[in-house]
Amino acid sequence: MTEVDGNSARFGGLFLQCGVDESGIGIWDLDLSTGDLFWSDATRRLFDVPLHEAVSLELFLSKLAPDDRERTRTALQRTIEGGSKFDFQYCIGEQSGGSHWVRARGGLVRNADGAPARVCGVVLDIDDQKQLEAALRARESHLHSILETIPDAMIVIDEHGIMQRFSSAAERLFGLPESEAIGLNVNTLMPEPDRGRHDGYLQRYKSSGERHIIGIGRIVTGKRRDGSTFPMHLSVGEMNAGGERYFTGFVRDLTEHQKTQAKLQELQSELFHVSRLSAMGEMASALAHELSQPLAAISNYMKGSRRLLESNGTPDIPRVEMALDRAAEQALRAGQIIRRLRDFVSRRESEKRVESLAKLVEEAGALGLSGAREQNVMLRFQLDPDCDRVLVDRVQIQQVLVNLFRNALEAMADSPRRELVAASTHASDDMIEISVMDTGHGFSDTTAGNLFQTFFTTKETGMGVGLSISRSIVEAHGGRMWAETNESGGATFRLTLPAAPDEGLPDVA
Amino acid sequence: MSHNAHVYVIDDDPSMRDSLDFLLGAAGFDVSLFDGATSFLKAHTDLGFGCVLSDVRMPGMDGMDLLRQLKAKASALPVIIMTGHGDIPLAVEAMKLGAFDFVEKPFEDERLIGAINTALQQGGDKTKGDALTRDIAARVASLSLRERQVLDGLLAGLSNKQIARDHGISPRTIEVYRANVMTKMQARSLSELIRLAVKANIQAD
Repeated sequence: MTEVDGNSARFGGLFLQCGVDESGIGIWDLDLSTGDLFWSDATRRLFDVPLHEAVSLELFLSKLAPDDRERTRTALQRTIEGGSKFDFQYCIGEQSGGSHWVRARGGLVRNADGAPARVCGVVLDIDDQKQLEAALRARESHLHSILETIPDAMIVIDEHGIMQRFSSAAERLFGLPESEAIGLNVNTLMPEPDRGRHDGYLQRYKSSGERHIIGIGRIVTGKRRDGSTFPMHLSVGEMNAGGERYFTGFVRDLTEHQKTQAKLQELQSELFHVSRLSAMGEMASALAHELSQPLAAISNYMKGSRRLLESNGTPDIPRVEMALDRAAEQALRAGQIIRRLRDFVSRRESEKRVESLAKLVEEAGALGLSGAREQNVMLRFQLDPDCDRVLVDRVQIQQVLVNLFRNALEAMADSPRRELVAASTHASDDMIEISVMDTGHGFSDTTAGNLFQTFFTTKETGMGVGLSISRSIVEAHGGRMWAETNESGGATFRLTLPAAPDEGLPDVA
Repeated sequence: MSHNAHVYVIDDDPSMRDSLDFLLGAAGFDVSLFDGATSFLKAHTDLGFGCVLSDVRMPGMDGMDLLRQLKAKASALPVIIMTGHGDIPLAVEAMKLGAFDFVEKPFEDERLIGAINTALQQGGDKTKGDALTRDIAARVASLSLRERQVLDGLLAGLSNKQIARDHGISPRTIEVYRANVMTKMQARSLSELIRLAVKANIQAD
């Protein structure tokens, strides 16, 4: 009872203590003069000590995990000597299996002359909190390990574009350590023009809520720390946490993917080109044979007629007339064969689609200009992004472009200066003009008139069908094709193609 | 001009047959027309001496098969093969199979009639042909190594560019060698060069 009285003096009475006990908060009090330790009932329950058992500092320490004992002793000593707060978290009953967490807090109480008299405080049950924390930590580390394992880089930014998180895949991809990335504006990872515009993109989204990339994903260009750029697929998610808006970006490096794609495409179009070339070669050879028949017949009729007219005596006029008629028939037959050549080109149902001119030119370039860099040919594409969309049969137009590129390369084989420029511009509201300029030997005035004629060629191994077929293709698209001599003395070939109408196209901006 | 000499025209194209009939008739030949090698071979044993003028590309039996058949039958008829323009490998092969000559379509009437007359005159007279062959062989022997390589290339039907690549020299240089070959061989055209070379038994490969 004396104990209760003593405690009531300290804690404001029995009722208060009972109330505190009921709340689950334990009380402890260490008398520094006697070394006696007082524990309230709640404290005993929290430390698994029976109500009747005598408590002491030694008993308290014995309840702790071995590592905690020494630290507790030291901390207690510091509190006594320096008056610092005592605050410890213990896992009790670890040995017996039924462990739980408690937190002991306390402070120093001095006597009237300022000497340390006692250390007292409370003990709290923090098991729930600890379990929650542990679960949270487990989830956190689980999530972390997932994010570290997936090959995609992950970057979290706030609504001002400042990077908050930067995964290790992102470190590898951009060559930038997390420690440097965090706090920087994400536009550091972009080349121009996105770099300068990104803050505006965020602003626009904030004010309009219009999604251009969030939840859609698209292919953009990334910039590494060393300044090099690479194609990447970016998908962005949005989240709200604590009233703040964050954006999480997942980045996949497409360098390898694009290389594979390009290689595949190259192989495919090469295969296509070869098969088409051989088809054209076969056709040309069959055509040459077919054409030689009527031509030989015409020559035979003419020469035979001449012989008849030159012969002594009266010429057999009816025979000569018959021969002239037949010669004329054969001339018409030859004309029909030529017409069939044109038909051969346009017979295939053309499949016109909206295509990107830049893509067509680049692909045709990849095919027609292979080896150009080795020949020290300087290539320049001056394509106006405002006239990129054309309505064409991709295969046919690529054929035309490949043909022009190859011609240009051949024409420059012996030139000291080798430059090839492919450019696009608006020809009119609904037509786009494409030009292919070279610094080759060009063509003479007499050649100019024949350039687009079937079977006309200045090349030793040429068939003389390339340009005439090209022009047929362009005309079948409703365009025109012509050639000019440019300032360098080389040739400039120009062709026009129908621009695709704007509406109904996916917004790619 | 050997009047009433026979020419047997074999071509699957009716207009070619008709126009050759007209031309050669006007030139004074007796002309018989056949629409294919098979129908010619059927009639062949009953035919008198004459010159065979056959297209090379025909459905069914082509000109090459015809040459093989006639060789197997030990036919004495000289054969002139009509080839497409620039079909050198085919012409070379025809000559090797025993064709007397070849003409490229379309052809000059003088060239065709000249070839037919030569064939008719030399067809029976082997000694004259041998003397000519010896003469050509001497011309071939006068060629330098490079010139001979160029000749071989031309016989294989290669272009100047291709020959240049094969021997690692520039096409311009090949042009010079080619001109030398033409001069030394006394040939006025590529087809004449081919005829001469094949007669001298030059192997293209």
